[in-house]
Amino acid sequence: MPIRNVVYRQREAGQVLTDLSDYRRAGGYEALRTALTEMDRDETVYAFVRSGLRGRGGAGFPMGRKASFIPKDSVLPAYVVCNADESEPGTFKDRELMETNPFQLLEGITLAGYAIGAVRGYIYIRGEYEHQARILDAAIAQARTAGFLGQGVAGSGFDFDITLYRGAGAYICGEETALLESLEGKRGQPRLKPPFPAVAGLYASPTLINNVETLSALPAIIEHGADWYASMGTEKSTGTKLFSISGHVMKPGNYEIVLHDTTLRELVYDIAGGFRPGREFAAAWVGGSSVNVLGPESLDTPLDYESMAEAGSSLGSAGCIVMDDSGSIVRATLRLAQFYRHESCGKCTPCREGTLWLERILQRIVDGEGRMEDLELIESLAGRMVGRVLCALADTGVLPVTSAVRRFRDDFVHAIENGGVPRPEPMMEVPVGG
Amino acid sequence: MADYAPVDLTAEGQVEFELNGRRVSAPAGTMLVDAAYALGVEVPIFCYEPRLGAPIGACRMCLVEIEGMRGLQTACSTPVQPDMVVRTNSDIAKDGQDGVLEFLLENHPLDCPVCDKGGECPLQDRTFRFGPGRTRFVEAKRHFPKPLDLSSVIALDRERCISCYRCVRFSQDVAEDKALVMQERGAAAEIATLTGDQYEGRFTGNVIDICPVGALTSIPYRFTARPWDVTNTPSICGHDATGTNVELTLREGHVARVTARPEPNYAVEEGWLSDLSRFAYEGNRAPDRLTAPLIRDDGRVKEASLDDAVDAAALVLGRGGRVGILVGPTATVEEGFLAQELARTALGGARIQRLGIPGAGLDAIRSQPRAELGDIDGAGLVVIVGGDPPNQQSIVELRVRKARRRGAAVITVGPRPHALEPVGTAVRSEPGRLAAAIAALDLPEAASTIVLWDEADLAAEPDAAGALARIVGDRGASQIELGADVNGAGLRALGLGAGDVLEAAAAGEIDTLLTIHADPLDGPGAADWGWALGRVRARIAIAAYASAVTDASTVVIPAATHYETDGVYVSMTGRAQRLRPGATAPAGAAPGWELLIALAHRLGAPPPYRSAARAFAAAAAARPALAGLDYDVIGVLGAPVAAVTPVSPNGVNGPREAAGTGLPLVTTTRIFGNAAAHRSEALASVRTGAELVLNPAEGERLGIADGARARLRSPHGECILAVRLAADHPAGAAFATTGVPGAGVERLLPADRGPVNVEIEAP
Amino acid sequence: MNAAAISAHIEPIRHEYAEGRSLILPALKYAQTEKGHLTREDIEAVAEATGFSAAYVESVASFYDRLYLQPTGQRVVSVCVTLSCMLRGSDELMERICDRAGVSHHGGTSEDGMITVQEAQCLGYCDHAPAVQVDAEQTRGPLTLDDADALVDELRTSPRPDELWR
Repeated sequence: MPIRNVVYRQREAGQVLTDLSDYRRAGGYEALRTALTEMDRDETVYAFVRSGLRGRGGAGFPMGRKASFIPKDSVLPAYVVCNADESEPGTFKDRELMETNPFQLLEGITLAGYAIGAVRGYIYIRGEYEHQARILDAAIAQARTAGFLGQGVAGSGFDFDITLYRGAGAYICGEETALLESLEGKRGQPRLKPPFPAVAGLYASPTLINNVETLSALPAIIEHGADWYASMGTEKSTGTKLFSISGHVMKPGNYEIVLHDTTLRELVYDIAGGFRPGREFAAAWVGGSSVNVLGPESLDTPLDYESMAEAGSSLGSAGCIVMDDSGSIVRATLRLAQFYRHESCGKCTPCREGTLWLERILQRIVDGEGRMEDLELIESLAGRMVGRVLCALADTGVLPVTSAVRRFRDDFVHAIENGGVPRPEPMMEVPVGG
Repeated sequence: MADYAPVDLTAEGQVEFELNGRRVSAPAGTMLVDAAYALGVEVPIFCYEPRLGAPIGACRMCLVEIEGMRGLQTACSTPVQPDMVVRTNSDIAKDGQDGVLEFLLENHPLDCPVCDKGGECPLQDRTFRFGPGRTRFVEAKRHFPKPLDLSSVIALDRERCISCYRCVRFSQDVAEDKALVMQERGAAAEIATLTGDQYEGRFTGNVIDICPVGALTSIPYRFTARPWDVTNTPSICGHDATGTNVELTLREGHVARVTARPEPNYAVEEGWLSDLSRFAYEGNRAPDRLTAPLIRDDGRVKEASLDDAVDAAALVLGRGGRVGILVGPTATVEEGFLAQELARTALGGARIQRLGIPGAGLDAIRSQPRAELGDIDGAGLVVIVGGDPPNQQSIVELRVRKARRRGAAVITVGPRPHALEPVGTAVRSEPGRLAAAIAALDLPEAASTIVLWDEADLAAEPDAAGALARIVGDRGASQIELGADVNGAGLRALGLGAGDVLEAAAAGEIDTLLTIHADPLDGPGAADWGWALGRVRARIAIAAYASAVTDASTVVIPAATHYETDGVYVSMTGRAQRLRPGATAPAGAAPGWELLIALAHRLGAPPPYRSAARAFAAAAAARPALAGLDYDVIGVLGAPVAAVTPVSPNGVNGPREAAGTGLPLVTTTRIFGNAAAHRSEALASVRTGAELVLNPAEGERLGIADGARARLRSPHGECILAVRLAADHPAGAAFATTGVPGAGVERLLPADRGPVNVEIEAP
Repeated sequence: MNAAAISAHIEPIRHEYAEGRSLILPALKYAQTEKGHLTREDIEAVAEATGFSAAYVESVASFYDRLYLQPTGQRVVSVCVTLSCMLRGSDELMERICDRAGVSHHGGTSEDGMITVQEAQCLGYCDHAPAVQVDAEQTRGPLTLDDADALVDELRTSPRPDELWR
């Protein structure tokens, strides 16, 4: 069975768990109790380390190691910040977790807070998720009433509370230092690093920042054990991962699968229902849009961090956007270039000007004003952006552009030689699930 | 260039590393850009500006290759590390720099031929030296309709902006006026004020200097000159006592612009100018400027040549009557010395004084160890006693704010509200009761303490000056005088007192009065001076501007202003610095030192020198305070005058009671409320007038409404002012603005600016 | 909204933040619930309530897509146009909604001031593509072109919420 609903309780229980009593009946908050009564902080961090859990936001940095970077001797209070600014194109897994299982996130944040000795956790949720923010508001209130937040969490000596902070519409705030700036009431622009957030993060205090899915996995790791979690997947890609799949597939949605157990082909065809009759796979952006686009030759790649890297892309946020052969790769690439231009914060010159330039070139190609030398220009400009900016927006934002020009060069050449690309017929008015 | 921080390559704790194949060393903690610059390797920059605080790494211009690190690194934010291998000119590093320039130029209009920055533009220079030879951008550039007026003095051309954030950081993190910001995001980002507002403040013009492109330009200077049409001269600001270092841009004999120097004086202004220092130069050609010598004869006024005027002056002075000489606060050390020499030789027996504060009770505090303005940055505790530095010695404000940002505690004590009060802990003293407030101070421990004290306020309260001197001495602190007069310290160094002539004139013992840049009828004690000068029979004036004194002088000899003369000013911190002429005096005027030498010749006592430099050397030889100084020693950045001989604070520093009845008068000053600001068209929109500010309770008690007019009367004189009622001003005092031309508040004061009470009534 | 009302909203949560600057964003979002956008008076009120300069507050507001410094309609419809929704017809949907609302295909505010239509970047409802959001509170999808007409008609006639969370 490729789908394994074992880590996220709403999937395991098959129900929405927005009521604390339902969450507790499904086993919720037992992990926190276990940690508070049976484990000291170092043991808790060590469990995270041993689980092999990697950050689920996109960068894939080992969560336990990140937690272990938090200095123990700081005179400043430590914080846990949950990155709920889910804005990566094609990614909507955190939305499900917050909508249907808010307490597991709260429990996970509290566990992380206990592990690093934090005084407060913040959930930075994107402004567009107002509905989910209200669910979290209600959940936080319930958890406080029940003693799972506040002074003496669950009857222990650990004081911890969680604040929900609403963003206001800026993709860049998913970048961890931009998120911190925004949470501090500033324009959400990335900071110069070092110092890294673990040393000087929120209010210059030691700060652990993790994604919703990452933190939501912690209760399962404590409850079933780090070894159990690490037994799933491969050595470097442990556990399960929520995949968001969307685009031209018949059954878009979130699916929890064990890393490495499933190939892209299985995800697209077996799990997500494949395509409309007569349509074929054309391209996929597997890790959200900030990755190299893959063609049909990559369909048999197992879905895990190392395999995706070997295939020349990355697992990213596992927000998999799939396009069939009715779509236009040139237009899709332009659309993504527009996204990065719109979302560039404007701080670094190469990103601010480069994303704009790339968009303009692609727009010309779509409009029939393209020149053959534009393809080399795209390559050259992208080369002058990557590795020369403060954050990953430009570094990874150029990937779908350069990879498309390389992998689907014929389509671009065709557009240049044939007066552009007409808008294809969209896949519309097809019921979800076929 | 001010763009790079100074680096001491001989300091302890050097780190060795490799730079472009060379083994080099720089002090630990030095940023790579600064170290490289000091070692002769220029890494191009735009956003980096060490005076704005920690680097932000935004423009990415300073990309360099560092072995073992992924991608390219910004040299502005990378401290030197032992054994790091840095290449600033490898192919990859050059590609990084070239690439950033290509991106910057993508939307830059390249309208250099019509841009005011053209020829002195870092973007232009660095494109030439580090950039691409061509652009590959074929699309339409970003276009904005026309430049915006960010204020009456600053134009913003948004097309040229490269989003380096320098101006925004200056406003947010240096001036802390918080008015200039970045609006919008990404490629749409632009610098702006709150929509609909102008950028107003005391320091706004600095953003013009630090803008690395032609986005922010000076409206008064716009389109007046090209860099190859002008010459630049380093000089000193003559509008306050701080000794702010400036650069004068000279075009066709006139001052066309005042900017910070490319190499700032870190001990003084650190390259930041107040808008008064920057824009007051327009007053150099104001309508009240004297441009032709005048001789009055039997009520008739006739223009004369300079020679004839000097002859006429010599004739009047040489008639043998009792002569008095008044040296004004903007006179240079040379002018003061030459006047003293006249009094000693040709006019033997003449009385001479400077216009200023006698300050007999200030010797004790003045003799405590002095600090420079630059020392404020590193202080642990800054105590400001009296005064209103933001309005009077403006650049002090920036130093104090910087110290506070670096963690210093700031305590202010004084009778009047001012802009530095909110920066720290503010103690409001009752008028005339500074001593009590000082005695009650509970100063925190600090590794180093700097006490800034106001000359006028403490001269009026000698007991407070003594108390403060004891605190400074006990704590091992150092002190900075917030001087009232531009060259007060220089004239004091010559030994010029501040009371003789007034006393003698009032007693009818002066027949002929020579004034040198002195206008006693518009300054403190104007009423008393008016009465005393009424007894003088003949007046000779050497002055740059028309005044009540020149209107009543027999001979008026136009003098060069401080923009037009050689000379030395001594700043309030005791730093002797050189004025250099950035403009030519009008044809009918000459530098005061030249006029005084000519006068000495006519009077038969020719001094053995004919240049300002030699005159200064003679002064230095004759006056112990100036010992060892000459123009070469002073150089470009100045040199300290000798410290004041230590004086015990337990001397004659008794309290001094205010004369008259009514409310104690607390004088205030506004930066753009003086004659210099009123003469400058560029400052027209920000200049302010005089007012009487009262606490609303006082207004009610006196039956005077907000906006009404009131007559103020002291034992010395009276004036009429508009009234503003303001709750942030305490009851029990009358706050009146001095310095405003024509307002007459000075008539209320004694000539020594001592304490007075005023009766207030509806006129 | 006046400073007192904003203070009443942010003072109870002030203790949750080590620095008061963090209250700027909550204050702006709350101030916007009154009119659906922020006027100069709103910006000045937030500045007063938080203690930061109005220029700074406006600068922060201008960074974020969902804070509006220009007048908006009674309801704001955000049409997601990012890749997943584009593949599912978001461009066609956008045009249809604009046509029905009577604004240009780039979006804008309808003449009657009832509806503002705008493009939005990925809303995180890719499994419901093409999706639109009405203010920030409700997200709908997948929409057909007929649904688009119905949505516009519905918004024209339905009452405006007391608070506008956008």
